[in-house]
Amino acid sequence: MDVEHPTTTWEALQDGNVFYRKQQVYSIPGKLPHFGDFVVSGCRYGGPIALMRDTSKVTVLGGGSTAFAKAQIQVYSAAGEGLLLFSWDQGKIVRFGWTGDERLVVLNEEGTYRLYDLQGDYQQYSLGSDAAELGVIDARIHENGLVALTGSLSLLEVKGWEGGKPLTLANPGISQPPYSWTVIPPDLTVSRHVEVLLSVDSTVYSVDNLESTDQRLSRGPFSHLAPSPNGKNLALLTSSGALWVVSSDFQRSLADYDTTKAIGVSGQVRQVEWCGNDAVLVTWDTMALLVGPFGDTLQWFYAGPTFVITESDGVRLMSPDTCEFLQKVPTSSVAVFRPGSTSPSAILYDAWEQFIKRSPKADESIRSIRPELATAVNQCIDAAGMEWSPYWQRRLLNAAKFGKAFIDLYNSTDFVDMGQTLKVLNAVRFYEIGIPITYTQYTQLSPAQLIARLTSRNLHLLALRISSFLGLPSSAVLKHWACAKIARSKSTATADSELEDDVVCRSIVEKFEKLGGASVSYAEIARKAWEIGRTDLATKASALLDHEPRPSDQVPLLLSMKEDKLALSKAVESGDTDLVYHVLLHLQKRMALGNFFRLIEEGGPNLAPARNLLQVYAREQNRDMLRDFYYSDDRRVESAVLSLSEAASMSDPTSKISAVKAAQKFFSEDKERTFEAKMMEESARLLTFQQQLEKETDGKTSFFGQSINETLRTCLINGMSKRADKLKSDFKIPDKRRLIYVSMLERFWYVKLYALTEIHDWDGLDAFARSKRSPIGYQAFVKHLVEKGYHKEAIPYVARCDANKRVDLYVLCGDWRQAGKECKDRGDKAKLEELRGKCPNSLIARELETLASSMK
Amino acid sequence: MAAVPSTSPDDEQSTPTRPQDEDEPLLDVSVLKETARKALIDALNSVNGAKTLVLDSSLAGPLGLVTEVALLKHHGVDKMFWLEPGPLTATTTNVVYLCRPKIGYVKTIADQIKRHARESQRHTYTLFLVPRASTLVTRILEEEGVLGDVTLATYNLQFIPIADDVISLEHDNAFKEIWADGDETIVYNSMQALTTLQSHFGIFPRIVGKGDYAARLAHLVTKNLPTTSVDNSTSLLRSLSEKMDCLVVLDRRVDLVTPLLTQLTYEGLTDELIGIKNSHVELPVSLLNPPNAQNPPSAPSTSSAPPPASSLTKEKKRKHHLTTATDPLFAELRDLNFSAVGRKLNQVARRLDEDYKLRHQAKTVAQLRDFVGKLGGLQTEHQALRLHTGLSELLVPHTRTDIFNKALEIQQNLLASYDVNGQVAAIEELVAQGADMQIVLRLLCLASILTGGIKAKTLENLKREILQAYGYNHLPLLLTLASPSLAALLPNPLPASASTALAGASKFPYTTLRKSLRLLIEDPDPLEELENDISYVYSGYAPISVRLVQCVAQKGGVISNPAGEKDKKIAASDQSSGRTRVPGEVPKVQAHPIVGWKGFEDVVASIPGETVDIVQKVPGVSESGVPTVSTLMLPKERPTTTVVFFLGGCTYTEIAALRWVGRQNIGRKFLIATTGIISGVSMMESLADTELASGTSKDAAS
Repeated sequence: MDVEHPTTTWEALQDGNVFYRKQQVYSIPGKLPHFGDFVVSGCRYGGPIALMRDTSKVTVLGGGSTAFAKAQIQVYSAAGEGLLLFSWDQGKIVRFGWTGDERLVVLNEEGTYRLYDLQGDYQQYSLGSDAAELGVIDARIHENGLVALTGSLSLLEVKGWEGGKPLTLANPGISQPPYSWTVIPPDLTVSRHVEVLLSVDSTVYSVDNLESTDQRLSRGPFSHLAPSPNGKNLALLTSSGALWVVSSDFQRSLADYDTTKAIGVSGQVRQVEWCGNDAVLVTWDTMALLVGPFGDTLQWFYAGPTFVITESDGVRLMSPDTCEFLQKVPTSSVAVFRPGSTSPSAILYDAWEQFIKRSPKADESIRSIRPELATAVNQCIDAAGMEWSPYWQRRLLNAAKFGKAFIDLYNSTDFVDMGQTLKVLNAVRFYEIGIPITYTQYTQLSPAQLIARLTSRNLHLLALRISSFLGLPSSAVLKHWACAKIARSKSTATADSELEDDVVCRSIVEKFEKLGGASVSYAEIARKAWEIGRTDLATKASALLDHEPRPSDQVPLLLSMKEDKLALSKAVESGDTDLVYHVLLHLQKRMALGNFFRLIEEGGPNLAPARNLLQVYAREQNRDMLRDFYYSDDRRVESAVLSLSEAASMSDPTSKISAVKAAQKFFSEDKERTFEAKMMEESARLLTFQQQLEKETDGKTSFFGQSINETLRTCLINGMSKRADKLKSDFKIPDKRRLIYVSMLERFWYVKLYALTEIHDWDGLDAFARSKRSPIGYQAFVKHLVEKGYHKEAIPYVARCDANKRVDLYVLCGDWRQAGKECKDRGDKAKLEELRGKCPNSLIARELETLASSMK
Repeated sequence: MAAVPSTSPDDEQSTPTRPQDEDEPLLDVSVLKETARKALIDALNSVNGAKTLVLDSSLAGPLGLVTEVALLKHHGVDKMFWLEPGPLTATTTNVVYLCRPKIGYVKTIADQIKRHARESQRHTYTLFLVPRASTLVTRILEEEGVLGDVTLATYNLQFIPIADDVISLEHDNAFKEIWADGDETIVYNSMQALTTLQSHFGIFPRIVGKGDYAARLAHLVTKNLPTTSVDNSTSLLRSLSEKMDCLVVLDRRVDLVTPLLTQLTYEGLTDELIGIKNSHVELPVSLLNPPNAQNPPSAPSTSSAPPPASSLTKEKKRKHHLTTATDPLFAELRDLNFSAVGRKLNQVARRLDEDYKLRHQAKTVAQLRDFVGKLGGLQTEHQALRLHTGLSELLVPHTRTDIFNKALEIQQNLLASYDVNGQVAAIEELVAQGADMQIVLRLLCLASILTGGIKAKTLENLKREILQAYGYNHLPLLLTLASPSLAALLPNPLPASASTALAGASKFPYTTLRKSLRLLIEDPDPLEELENDISYVYSGYAPISVRLVQCVAQKGGVISNPAGEKDKKIAASDQSSGRTRVPGEVPKVQAHPIVGWKGFEDVVASIPGETVDIVQKVPGVSESGVPTVSTLMLPKERPTTTVVFFLGGCTYTEIAALRWVGRQNIGRKFLIATTGIISGVSMMESLADTELASGTSKDAAS
């Protein structure tokens, strides 16, 4: 058998209870430079590694490898294939690392950081001017953000990779840089916020954005700090070489191991990294030492310095000759392959082997595990996923298939899925692709992410095949492909570029239509074309942009291509007011005001919503612009209203009056608005009159800004009835022909009635009532007084009301006796009876009775 | 069936008025509340540590419906402030602002931040925008120079369930924003909220609508489906809903008449006269606290919204949450015509009394224990009864005033097109008497809309009266009401230069609608007789909006009173069977499937505004008529819900009317969705930019 048995790579720990296995994934002799001279950073989930010359170390000039006159970063796949090489022209790099979606973050001492994808395109962001001033001396980069240590030893956190504003964490209050430090990413902490651990003196400070806590340790300083992949535990290496594992809240000490005692230790510790969540790997230049949870160890020797990358289920180890994966052997593999295992899966596997050999023992074995057969099958499927070699994968799946046949109603979904997944995994593990991803990591990463990783390596065909194999939408791959295609076609000569554009455009659209990439964002592709200077392609291939169903993607691009009108109308069409604002504000900034107005005005009714929004915005934020806008368009009424709304917010009398007058002027310029102009004229007159009134009362009573009714009332309450009369006659309506409409006079009567009642001026009220025949009748007097609770005062006015209403009005006033008398006077016996039925007490009832009897 | 517990006759009578119809479960909209609540917690938790929360006051009410103060405290909120101009004293490092993306708010925030910077206070600012971020905010922060100091995020607050069958965006000014400002933001937000609704319950098989903006919304909803379903987070967007059969979109412009009228149901009248804000009503404390302090558990859940910073009212008032969850009595009362409320309260009081008396019958210990077990419930009911009796007593004096009754009379006469000139004169008299400006304007607009404009000269005089009585500062409001988009207060004939849009909008065919939609029940019988028709809620007038919904969902109800003819038969059979007829009991009819406007096309077309009728298809499965057939089949097979969305708000009375409609059918429930609850008062006030209050006599007195 040329394929070696899985257990050959196993090594036992804890008295043979636990096994670790170290498998060679790729053989890469001479493909990678000497790690000792480089700063290295690796990406998880089988991602690439990035290397940069470590300038703090001396190197032999012309020693075989390339000369590094300037800063260069090289990126290699896990299989040692060069993926990218770029040089760095900015300030000194302090740290680089990988994001979760496989982009390389490079941060320099000025606080500028770039995100490179594997094609060498980048976005650049900055940590802000403060960071630039203080300088950044170090940083820790995790998958969803980074924490930078500034020159003043404060910590800045950036969340996400969208160029968000850096957040200052609590000040640890240290006076010199920590010996070492690390961060626990936010998704792994209890608080869901990033936590920074700094080794200071003999202790560790843990810092988040609220506070800095001294953990009060005495074993420091620590030269290495490493959080476990699940963030629960922490590995610390003291300067004396003791490895100490604690829970990340420093409450439980888990293991303690003196690394100096290990055989063959020499020189500095290179790295302390976790192997999965339960063992720690410590590496020296030529040695790697695995320390298990109970202090038992395994060790390996290498020809030169190594680099290790923690994975969630193990650790990847890049040595000069090999790329290896070290992990705790998964339980399912142990169950199947462990020597002497009697687990159902082991027996199932054995049975299958017997079956292949046509031995009758197979039947016997199957029979013996009948009740647990389903478990056995599942375990075999799982174990297949854990194997690297297709040979063993196939054998285990065959065993599972064999076992499956003995079960009624077995759901084969898992089996089929595993078969599919393994096909994908084997494909991407192939050395030319170079993504050594395990099944566990694959399930964590998600298939879509894996496909994204392939497309970012320009492996579109493979990505497309995998996505169609797994039944995933192919749009993302197609989009990336189209962008790459456009970028690639850039180099063609300009002469026949037009022809070239057509070809590219057609090939893209064709491909999309053929592969059903209906949901592809054409806008992004068009943007790509635009960004690299292929405007023609982007616009002329408005074929591209017109295919775009999402205005939110389309509009910004149109705007940046200066297709202003189109952008605006598309935005309006979308109904998304925010998008309209986006365009409006952008244009307002960029264009001359006149042109801006013209653009909006000429749009006709279609752009009406945009016009309205502009007004809403300008009314609150930019009144001058609004005034210009109305003026330029001869909108008199709107100008007047604007002027009025300004008047409303003014407190200074003079300017208020002049604002009202301005409104009047605007109205008078429109011949349809004579009424409004007249009203404004009255308004200004009233304001002036009120000003005068205030002067007369030495400012003790305020009148300014009241309505005519209120002014009348204030006058009357303050005993200025002369002025009230004047006001009444000044603002009387001159039209004499009105017949059915009440006039100013009637309103005046009501106001005066209310006012006099309010100040309890009963004599005044009486005089007023007698002054003239009331145009509002006297019933109004009675009703109002009763409503305000002055029943007694109301009674005298009843006599003046219409005869047929008096009885009820008296009742309203509570004067039953008078009501009864009224009935008697009018000889209305029935009404009297009715009163008697309703009256409140017997006393009155009796009186009414007497009245009634006297009527006969 | 001998074991049927003996229910009192009163119990039996109250069943028809109860909204919870046993057999058919509604859509469970509480999931929306849960989503909103969770989103809020997530938003708060994204800022680490203790924080000072600064709230836009228009959000406090809606938030109060979603969460309670304790929950906020639990998630690190140390102190809460209103977002108001002026300095902010925050004790915590984190300051969290939560507001709608309004320019005014953002400027206030910028001011506060700048002030802190001057006083060299260091804070971390996070601004949560509701329901989504806006370029406008970014721009203003940038112009004010504080963009760098603020972390912008969103809190996507969409539909909030305010009753079992009502969900609202609680966006108060939607009507004004759309028709006075021309700001369509709320249309887009409504689209997003409806899409969220679809993601919970599946795609509306059909969208029927009336009105220009309703059409726009309907098209937006259909257009935005395929794109949102791309991120297949919400798989329900890929299938037609099985629970909902139709979305009816009505924009407020289609029926301006209804909100202008005085609402007459219990809840509606409370809103008109006292004001209900985000389901909370302010009541005197004495009414809310049980007189004997021995039973605190019966105290209703009050003031879940943070208490206002300054309450300087004379008598102490407290906010009370009007909800049927804790107050089953309210469920029975809210949709009743106010004239019937007294009777109902009386009934309940008597029943309660009998229930209390049961204790005398309790002889054995077990019986006594049973009674004690029920006691808590009785006390709660007792307190509810007290509350509603008190609330009705508060309302009664209002309804007795001269002005209130005169306004009602004018409304009824206008609806009947009786002596229009006389009504206008009566309105003018109201001005002279100093009636509230909103009353006058509502009547005036009503007159203008119903009669196709007021005589130019008359209108001018009236406008002058109004300006003189209430202040010249109301001129812009009058202009707004006359603008083409609202066309609520127009002269007749229109000035020659008037735009065609205005001319079109001014032709509201009220008189024909009155006949074709059976809007007015002439000579209404005693109200109990009317109860079967939705016109019950306005004592004789059926809201146009609800009639339009009936055109879609209950065609028979438009043409004749669904109880009409059958009533007599039932009455006859009742008599023969010796059973007294239960007033208001409706002979239920199986709901017919949704077939759009069919049968009413002409009527609907005569109303200004676009008409829509879209059959939605599942993106990707765009096969020919297959889905249509299945939708046609649906209602027969299982009960469905019809969603009615009011763009621009609806009144409590319209909700009540729709509940009546829902009760008349078997197999169809209504879910009422709206941008907010409005009333004539709030509508006028928002149009006037809340300046109205200063002109009313109410405030002049204080």
